[in-house]
Amino acid sequence: MLAYAAARVPSLAGLVVAIGLLGALLLAFVLVRRADDLLPWALAVLAVAYTVSLFVHGAAVDQAAPLVAAGLLLCGELAAWSLDERHGMAAERAVVLRRALALGTLVLAGLGASAAVVAFTAASAGNGLAWTAVGAAAAVLVVGTAARLARRTA
Amino acid sequence: MTRIVSPRLAAYAGLAATGLITGLATGRVELVALAAPFALAAVAGAALARDPAIEATLVLDRERALESEDVEAALELVSPGGSDRVEVLLQMPAELRSRARNPRAVRLAPGEPRTLTVPLRCERWGAFAVGPVLVRARDPLGFHSWETKLAGRSPLRVYPSVETLHALLPPFETQVFIGNQVSRTKGDGIEFADVREWEPGDRVRRVNWRASARRGGLWVNDQHPERNTDVVLFLDTFADVRSAGRGTLDLTVRAATSLAHRYLQRKDRVGLVSFGGYLSWLLPASGTHQLYRIVDSLLQMDIVLSFATKGVDVLPPRTLPPKALVLALTPLLDSRSAAALLDLRARGFDLVVIEVSPVPFIEPGKGELAELSYRLWRLSRESLRARYEQAGVPVIEWLDGVPLNVPLEEVAAFRRHARPARA
Repeated sequence: MLAYAAARVPSLAGLVVAIGLLGALLLAFVLVRRADDLLPWALAVLAVAYTVSLFVHGAAVDQAAPLVAAGLLLCGELAAWSLDERHGMAAERAVVLRRALALGTLVLAGLGASAAVVAFTAASAGNGLAWTAVGAAAAVLVVGTAARLARRTA
Repeated sequence: MTRIVSPRLAAYAGLAATGLITGLATGRVELVALAAPFALAAVAGAALARDPAIEATLVLDRERALESEDVEAALELVSPGGSDRVEVLLQMPAELRSRARNPRAVRLAPGEPRTLTVPLRCERWGAFAVGPVLVRARDPLGFHSWETKLAGRSPLRVYPSVETLHALLPPFETQVFIGNQVSRTKGDGIEFADVREWEPGDRVRRVNWRASARRGGLWVNDQHPERNTDVVLFLDTFADVRSAGRGTLDLTVRAATSLAHRYLQRKDRVGLVSFGGYLSWLLPASGTHQLYRIVDSLLQMDIVLSFATKGVDVLPPRTLPPKALVLALTPLLDSRSAAALLDLRARGFDLVVIEVSPVPFIEPGKGELAELSYRLWRLSRESLRARYEQAGVPVIEWLDGVPLNVPLEEVAAFRRHARPARA
């Protein structure tokens, strides 16, 4: 993912690689020191590396964005799985298979959702105040959900 | 069950929200596409959260076991909704060792009971409680977990292993009740003791006709009567020296159990005195009940740190009956117990000291000073032993790994030529 982001903007490849490496180092730190609180930050830094390449590259829609998104989610989920197994607990085969199946399903569903988002941009659904309002409402809904989940977690 | 939400769920929701808002603000659909899988994960994580409501039952295949035996714990788990990952930890004391993986993660199908067997090796004697079971269930992606303690505690008593003793120490004096010990006194019994001249009151059937014919008068046989004895096991619990899972207290308890078992088999009365930071005693009695009482009392035996000065005066007089054989099991580490034993001897008790040697459990330190102090410590122990021997008390060192028969035989050899102590 990092190589892809860097390859898209040869002029600023160094910056993208630097940010990406920072994210990768943070992820390695999370895994080695079992600092699961920092896992979202590592993912965020990796996402920033991709975002930089997006803005530098230009206005054209990146068709590979769903793959990057699914890759990021896979990265986060595998890291979380690794952290969950930190105590070396003996798990029976069915437990491992169920989690692998759930993870695979989630990543594939995420890939599908992300691809659908990119695909919708190709459709000319029109524009205007109504669409902007729908988009804003969706964003508010997601932020609200995030805030609610965060409060429950705390 | 206590529900715990993983911080990852909020973090994913936060990442999704950030991506959506940034995408909306900048007009880049890629950022929304980047946020979509995380939003989906957050929603799926919240939607999949269902309390598995696990119930557990813990059953031990028996409540009593001997050291080094295995006890099987059967743990039955059931969840109406099922759970893809249930982590189970059976809590147990350090003296028990699980021979299966503990903790372990299993899957529970909805409504189907699942039984996990955990073989437990009883490594040391004691009264224990197995359980409770710590259970943590997770949803398929690990966004939510539910934790609880289940199944309560199951009691397990692990008795010390009993050593086979070929011979027991006979006391100098027996009691008045019938038993299996041939008394040194003369009276009605089976064992021949002597012949003497007939006296008025002697029964005719006791006349030794052969001796009478040879001596020209009536001579009768004397016998040794069979009597019981009183034995008091005096356990020094002031200190314990341990190394690699073994210690002097373990040896003391095993020896006390073996001795109590054998003496009670012989119809003797056995009492127990635990002389340490925590003082306890059992009055001498005989029978199977007394064996259970002694073993139960030994299971509670522990070292309690105390600086209080104690002597045998604190013991009720009935715990140390006259003519009782006092068998002291001590590592000879605490001056209070050493003084108490000398006091017992001065009071005329028939005392035998079996020194449960702490030496195999202590490594001499490195360096000249440490070696010197180790040698001095060994010398001070020898000096204490000499004090006991001067007082007429046999002190036999019993080393770990040596059968208890060996020190008992040594004491018997010592006492073969000894005479009863008089105050």
